[in-house]
Amino acid sequence: MNRWIGPFATAAVAGLAAHVYTVQAAPAFIMGRAMDAMEQRGVPLHAFSLAPRTTPQTQTVVRPSPDLAYSVCRYDFDQLDGPLTVRMAAWDNYSSVSFFDGETNNFLTVRGDGKAREVVLHGPAPVSSRAHRSPTTKGLILIRRLAPTQADYDRVTGVSASDLCTADPSPAPPPALEPQP
Amino acid sequence: MSETGRKSRRGLAYGLALVIGAVAGGGSALALSGLFPGFGAMSDGTVNLDGWKADFSTGSEAADAYTRARIARHGLLALARTEAVYFTRNTDDQGERLREGCRYRLSGGKMPAQWWSVTLYDAESRLPMNTDGALSLDASRAGEEAWSATIAPQAPDEGLWLSSQGGGQFDLTLRLYVTEARLIKDPVATLTPPRVERQDCAGGAA
Repeated sequence: MNRWIGPFATAAVAGLAAHVYTVQAAPAFIMGRAMDAMEQRGVPLHAFSLAPRTTPQTQTVVRPSPDLAYSVCRYDFDQLDGPLTVRMAAWDNYSSVSFFDGETNNFLTVRGDGKAREVVLHGPAPVSSRAHRSPTTKGLILIRRLAPTQADYDRVTGVSASDLCTADPSPAPPPALEPQP
Repeated sequence: MSETGRKSRRGLAYGLALVIGAVAGGGSALALSGLFPGFGAMSDGTVNLDGWKADFSTGSEAADAYTRARIARHGLLALARTEAVYFTRNTDDQGERLREGCRYRLSGGKMPAQWWSVTLYDAESRLPMNTDGALSLDASRAGEEAWSATIAPQAPDEGLWLSSQGGGQFDLTLRLYVTEARLIKDPVATLTPPRVERQDCAGGAA
């Protein structure tokens, strides 16, 4: 009987290790695959891309909502020297911009409430305590806009052109010139 | 048996134990996390309201490892509860598995949220592959008061419709965006979730 104790103990330890590793590693693995798939579909790094209107034929992630228009930006702070500036253009219905780290955690969400929103996102390295930091170097930023109809989605295509996800934000447009006296 | 033979068998036993342990451990992790295709899906949760199940830790670091793995597989990029809450069910009001071959009446009323929707997904957590354009019902179409819709593979003669064509054994996800704060604290008292009544099934069984 004693000769089986060693193999049983080995199986138990291997089982426990494999179990813990699989559960812990699954989110990062799945997120990594999702980001790789987006890259292959042409979703650029550090720029928003409006996904086609959600249908069974266009779905690319699990459980998409056909009522929402999604714009996605991939980020990688290993390829940035500074923070990332994210702007969500105003939308007259529900909208939000949400940030997901490389392990699927939704670490920040900002609601539009009919207004344009801007977030400056820093990498994982320590910065001031009030700054928004990504827990991981890579992640995804997702803008959701309520657009249940084709007409709504068509309007989103125009509005989303003003969304921004960049390390080099354009300066604010100059103020309008006052008429000369 | 020679000493070399005993060592060889012993080595084989340990090697086999290692493989069996790793397969069992990894497999049990996949099963408990709902990572096997069509297994577990999103219908497990810590909150259960008349068959609608939710896990309010969705999207947050507070979620346990199994929940995070399950969400990553079946609800990737889901929002944290401060923004949205997701309820899912895969059974009707009688506890029977929802399936394409049956017709259901989905009904409800005002929800404690700024916006809500009910969407139909197949067992792989994907929108069923049909071209009906009727896979979701949202507040803008249902209105603010009492509403009802038919879930069936074919469109009803009148009224709202959720198409189950191609859905096989499907489930429903109720999204509640920008919820009233008391929903998280006391979901039972705050939310009356939609009812899912089975009307009839192909072959006559209801």
